[in-house]
Amino acid sequence: MSSRKINKLLLLSPAKALGTNTAISTTSTTFIRGKRTSSKKKTSTLSPAAQRAVTQLSVLSASRKQPKLLKLCNEDLIKHQTIQTCWSEYQKSLREERANRLELQYEAMNEAMELLQEIAPDLYALANEGDESNASKKKRFPLEIRVPTDYPPSNIWYYDYKPEVSNDKK
Amino acid sequence: MFIRSFSTCSKFSKAACSIVQPVHHKVKINKLKLTPRFPELKYEKNDIRSPRFKPTVTHQDRVKEHYYNTLQSDLLLINYKHNTSIVKGSKIRKWDGSSPYHINRPPARPAGLTNETPDIKPISPHNIPEITGIVINCYVSDSKENQLLPIAAKLQLQQITGVKPETLYAKTDVPSWGVRRGNPMGAKVILKGRPLSQFISTLTEIVLPRIREYKGIRETSGDKNGNIAFGLTPEDVKYFPEIDANHDLWPKTFGMHITMQTSAQTDEHAKTLISGLGFPFTNTKRAL
Amino acid sequence: MLFTRSLATKVTKPSVIESAIILSRTPIITQQPSKLESTYCAYQRELERRLMWTFPQYYYFKRGTLAERKFLALQRGPVSKLPGVFYSKGVPDVRGNRERNAAQEIVLPLEQQSEDDPNESDSASSSHNINRRILPNSRITKADECGDLKSLERRLDKNLYLIVKSNKTGEWSFPSFLQNSKCKILHEIAESGLRELGGDKINTWTISTKPCKALVNGEKVTFFIKSHILAGKFEPKTEALEFAWVAKDELKEKVGDKYYEAIGFLLN
Repeated sequence: MSSRKINKLLLLSPAKALGTNTAISTTSTTFIRGKRTSSKKKTSTLSPAAQRAVTQLSVLSASRKQPKLLKLCNEDLIKHQTIQTCWSEYQKSLREERANRLELQYEAMNEAMELLQEIAPDLYALANEGDESNASKKKRFPLEIRVPTDYPPSNIWYYDYKPEVSNDKK
Repeated sequence: MFIRSFSTCSKFSKAACSIVQPVHHKVKINKLKLTPRFPELKYEKNDIRSPRFKPTVTHQDRVKEHYYNTLQSDLLLINYKHNTSIVKGSKIRKWDGSSPYHINRPPARPAGLTNETPDIKPISPHNIPEITGIVINCYVSDSKENQLLPIAAKLQLQQITGVKPETLYAKTDVPSWGVRRGNPMGAKVILKGRPLSQFISTLTEIVLPRIREYKGIRETSGDKNGNIAFGLTPEDVKYFPEIDANHDLWPKTFGMHITMQTSAQTDEHAKTLISGLGFPFTNTKRAL
Repeated sequence: MLFTRSLATKVTKPSVIESAIILSRTPIITQQPSKLESTYCAYQRELERRLMWTFPQYYYFKRGTLAERKFLALQRGPVSKLPGVFYSKGVPDVRGNRERNAAQEIVLPLEQQSEDDPNESDSASSSHNINRRILPNSRITKADECGDLKSLERRLDKNLYLIVKSNKTGEWSFPSFLQNSKCKILHEIAESGLRELGGDKINTWTISTKPCKALVNGEKVTFFIKSHILAGKFEPKTEALEFAWVAKDELKEKVGDKYYEAIGFLLN
């Protein structure tokens, strides 16, 4: 919806859109001392609500806000493409390293479970069911594990931890 | 076993499309791609020559970094289960062909359901749950009286996320609610990549801790396919720093539904992932 | 075939079960970006600023208000196009008070930041002052500077792992505990053993009950359980026990090559 459309909407049903401000048709000529009468600075005929909507639309819209398109010369374009290729190669190497490590971790985990099954079937059963055995206590990361920040907090580590004296065993 | 059928020849001689001239193609042709007038529109979006080009890697992505450094290998270990096989979902059921009437009969629906459910594969390094997107849906029911409200809702989403939202329109007439088809009713935005990470950190570090008596995302949330949703009330939205800093511009804020799309195969796996990103969960059941 | 196989299992089947704990402290700050990363991000940021839409100042600063006047006074404004003037940097193309061929420079009016900061430098009073200047803490801590391996406040951008020095062999390794009569389940052996070794003023979160690695050493097999430390600290009950919190690269130097090869990929 553009601001022009809003104006149209207001023209079609001024009473509805303007809400309480229906005093447009009343044309009583009362003169107020000191009131600006010059036509140069036209006061808006829109209600404050509609005016706010027009401003909001213009914030959202790209019109009169877009910069000129980038026009790179051939040399700059080749430079840019080289940078992009370098970056994607770098990302690819990181991705492969991660995938490789996860693959190794998976294999090690699998081997460990197979060995455990062989030598201690009871421990194996407990370990394999472990996280889902008690349905009331679902596996959730604790809130203490946080997304790292750019700079450390003033209090880096909480040392005064005291274990809860309850039947809840870790 | 020989199954007698009505006729088989017509099935094979049918062409996939009309061969009578003039042929009306079913594939739409994008004439923009054919015309020589706008060569820059043919470039991919991530090509610098395209008018749609927008740089993406503008800063470090700390949520993603946290996922790769900590969560990914932990989730592999948590979700892994030894000696498991694929759990079949319920699928549409083909007729066995014991009757000739089975030939053109549409297949039966999955048992007890309307739609097929996917198979659940055992966890492996290739299918560790990952957050793929966030959909923020802001439906303003008051906009049937005031057509200007969806504009404000749209701007609110744009200010919070930094991504341009799209307007939602009513799909059908609902006379009892006063909703008419085609009226703008709210706004929606889909977050991916860095705006997604930014939104997650704003939510978990600024907004949710400031909500009074916040209990966390409900444990019952989820659509069984690994997408977790929760809502924010209009009062909660006021805690977003972009709204909070210009509160005189926001006499009215709008609540929204936030759906987190993950690549997890079950809700349980998705919730474990989301809790790792710093979202609290409750064990409270929905009051019936 | 059947005979040889049964023999093989008989030989390799270990009987002593041991549970080791890989206790890690997750990173507190983001990783130091490499030179390539920081340069590329700077390049992309400049491109983004160049392609950004014009700032809608009329939305944030209402027309005719004091705030608007303050804001406009700070802006340098674009060079406007005049007839008969030679512009060395190209003819200006101004729209909406913005030069369209370049990035828009916005100077935001700062809130009343107390200029007389040095006068009231008391940390107690300034921490309550909302308008105080926010200075980020240093990414390098005291423990980093003095190389205190026993501190949890070092190498904030890396995962730290707890390793202990064995009294018998003098080798560094993850703390490992033998199966005893009190607890039998792998992760419980590891967690209770850790508390026997380093006091119970430590809050840990076992990632999973499943072991992530099995290391067979003759008769003995060690299962590794991963866990995160959340709060508290590791204080050995016996003074003689040596321990260290180390990142992956430091761990490589401390433990033997053979041990690192076996468990190195488990660490991030």
